[in-house]
Amino acid sequence: MPDYTLTANTPLNGFSRDFPGVSINEVNDRAIVSIVAPRDGEKELIKALKKSYDIELPNAGVLSVSAQDNAVLFCMAQDQYFLMFDYTGNTATTVVHSYLNDTAYLTDQSDSYVMIRVSGANSRCLLERICPLDIHPTAFPVRAVARTIMEHLGTTIIHEGDDNFLLLSARSSAYSFLEAIETSAKNTS
Amino acid sequence: MIINHPLLGPRDASEFVYKGDASLIERPDWQADNAAELFHDYLYLRDNPAGEHQELWYHEQGDRSWLVVTRNTLTHDITNVELARDAVLAKQAKKSGRGEK
Repeated sequence: MPDYTLTANTPLNGFSRDFPGVSINEVNDRAIVSIVAPRDGEKELIKALKKSYDIELPNAGVLSVSAQDNAVLFCMAQDQYFLMFDYTGNTATTVVHSYLNDTAYLTDQSDSYVMIRVSGANSRCLLERICPLDIHPTAFPVRAVARTIMEHLGTTIIHEGDDNFLLLSARSSAYSFLEAIETSAKNTS
Repeated sequence: MIINHPLLGPRDASEFVYKGDASLIERPDWQADNAAELFHDYLYLRDNPAGEHQELWYHEQGDRSWLVVTRNTLTHDITNVELARDAVLAKQAKKSGRGEK
């Protein structure tokens, strides 16, 4: 046996920085599990989600929100959903499987993404420089979710609360993504 | 150019990738007697219309859906956008409907 142990780093080593009117924080206490219903198995999945998380399968662009583990469910593609919930361990699918059993195909996506929260009164001002979507609350209200590009990087943007946005992007380009956000913060503060 | 996605609403064309003529959906039957000829036509022959054209677009930086977009090649006007899956299912339903008659 080796006499050392490995400790996993987060994509941005717990980055956190405040600018005037806006805070940028890496989120490390949430897991992401991809959920896909087996062919002709959607009804069973809907039942299991209702029973365990008390949520419906969401339409594209809207979060389903559950009190169970503060989970949110959103549509990432046709017939594919992401469940994001409070969890810091290494086996997120076991948690979801304990609720949904075999009603869905599950894939742990937690380590594939960097999650960055942009919050504060100037958050929309920061994001409007890099996000091609209209994120004014009238067009993109709280609980809205969309996948788009920011600085050429694929990004999922979630409107978590007033002046509070969560951004998901590929872990492999996490620092490039952060640079885009920080640059926009500097330009707008 | 803006593509009005059937599920997600208007999105900038930069989120999409052009994938070719929508006729690519209709892949020939590889067991047909004249399969070689059909595949030759499928692979190499394209219409090049000056005007309305049906084409495949992939929403790579979005929901990864495949779309059939009807676009005017002279004006870039987009007159119709539908999910490729819906377009295929509609065609299959039409075919099976004809088969029953």
